[in-house]
Amino acid sequence: MSATVDSDQAVRVCASDELGRGEMRAATLGRLPAVVIRLQDGTLHALVNRCLHHGAPLSRGRLSHGSRGQAGVGDYSADDSVDALRCPWHGYEYDVRTGCTLFDSERRLRRLTVWEEDGSVLLAP
Amino acid sequence: MTATSQTTTETHAPGPARARTEIVDVDVHERAALQELVPYLEPQWRRYITEYGWQPERLLPYAQPTAGGLDRADAKLPDGRPGGSDLGLVREQLLDLYDIDTAVLTGWLNASALGAGWPEFKTGLMSAYNDWQVETWLEPEPRLAGSVHVNAHDPVGAAREIDRMAAHPRIVQVMLYIGDRPFGDPVYEPLFAAAARHGLVVGIHHSENSPTALGHHRLFAEWHTLVSQVFMSQTVSLVFNGVFDRHPELRVAMIEGGFSWVPHIMWRSDQQWRELRSEVPWLHRKPSDVIREHVRFATQPIEEMTARQFLGLIEQMESDELILFSSDYPHWDFDSPERALPPGLPEALTGKILAGNARATYRLPDGA
Repeated sequence: MSATVDSDQAVRVCASDELGRGEMRAATLGRLPAVVIRLQDGTLHALVNRCLHHGAPLSRGRLSHGSRGQAGVGDYSADDSVDALRCPWHGYEYDVRTGCTLFDSERRLRRLTVWEEDGSVLLAP
Repeated sequence: MTATSQTTTETHAPGPARARTEIVDVDVHERAALQELVPYLEPQWRRYITEYGWQPERLLPYAQPTAGGLDRADAKLPDGRPGGSDLGLVREQLLDLYDIDTAVLTGWLNASALGAGWPEFKTGLMSAYNDWQVETWLEPEPRLAGSVHVNAHDPVGAAREIDRMAAHPRIVQVMLYIGDRPFGDPVYEPLFAAAARHGLVVGIHHSENSPTALGHHRLFAEWHTLVSQVFMSQTVSLVFNGVFDRHPELRVAMIEGGFSWVPHIMWRSDQQWRELRSEVPWLHRKPSDVIREHVRFATQPIEEMTARQFLGLIEQMESDELILFSSDYPHWDFDSPERALPPGLPEALTGKILAGNARATYRLPDGA
């Protein structure tokens, strides 16, 4: 938990065992839509649940790996160093850990603070 | 203190609250499972599905490499049915969420984009689809307008179907999906004559069987980038083959091809008309004038641009009445009515694109 989090603003998302590895779920923080993600390595991440493009709910998208392609045309190797969240509509991909789009690191979703405490997943601005 | 969050399955968080803006969406896809159409088929055609196992051919050599395939991932039904299969979800994700005034249904399974085989069966299948559409969608939901689906490979049968369906008060369009044939060919004259006779718009829509000018490239991204090519072909075909000269009241809506290519086609067509008019002596006006009078262009998949670039296109088209908003719900490249147009456009222009131009084209009552 970040030392800067105001715990008065925290909300409970779900029980810890209700969010498995490789899963995500939608939540709200006040009026702010959020998507809370537990990656395969067990780490928790939270982003604003609204695609920068057309506003789609990212929690209805897909968690996936990145794609390399450095070898040129025809290279479809997976990039497991990137955990991507893919928009359910037009397919914008975001790095779950940074909130940045994979096509432009200057375009970034707001990250929220998420942690576990006493068997619950908690979320704060 | 820790409050309890409302964990939600809400499908979309709308953008900032907007003032009440009329919206007419001219491209919303409802979808039938083939088995749903069987009861609506004439008895002689039912065995084509129940016994012969006919399926529409799909010529696209790729699937949509998106989170949900053809559909928005959140528009698929929990039971596995594709997007557009359930009126309740269409209401929730589109009509109610965006406060849509009128949505024009554009359907699925239009035989005009399929092969020419079994034309009588396919004409019958379109009749079944139309009856299913009226009963399942138009009758229970007054915000929907409908399209008559026809089999262009059977132009006389298509005209007969248009005559049969046109009396329905919320049928506003004849639907043609694009395969590999230009619709300006006089062989299609009976169906255009029927549409004009009944005052219906002819909607021409992209399909998975629409090729590019070079067939199918290696990648889906190439194919989808080039969807506008077949719309250029169809626009030029209709204009140069005199469809609008024969039917001065006819309106055509080009749906799912964007619009930024329109100035190019206007300029190039005018140039060719001036230079080669001896080949088209029946064309008495310059093509750009014909296009401005008769052809409209739906926005989706909208070419993303700045307001300044957008206004430049309007100036180049010499009309602000040619563009109609469309979302293409429930497909993966759905354009939100709140996000499709660039910020900073004049309010009057936005109003025309979101509703006014479609109302005029489809002759929809104001505010209905």
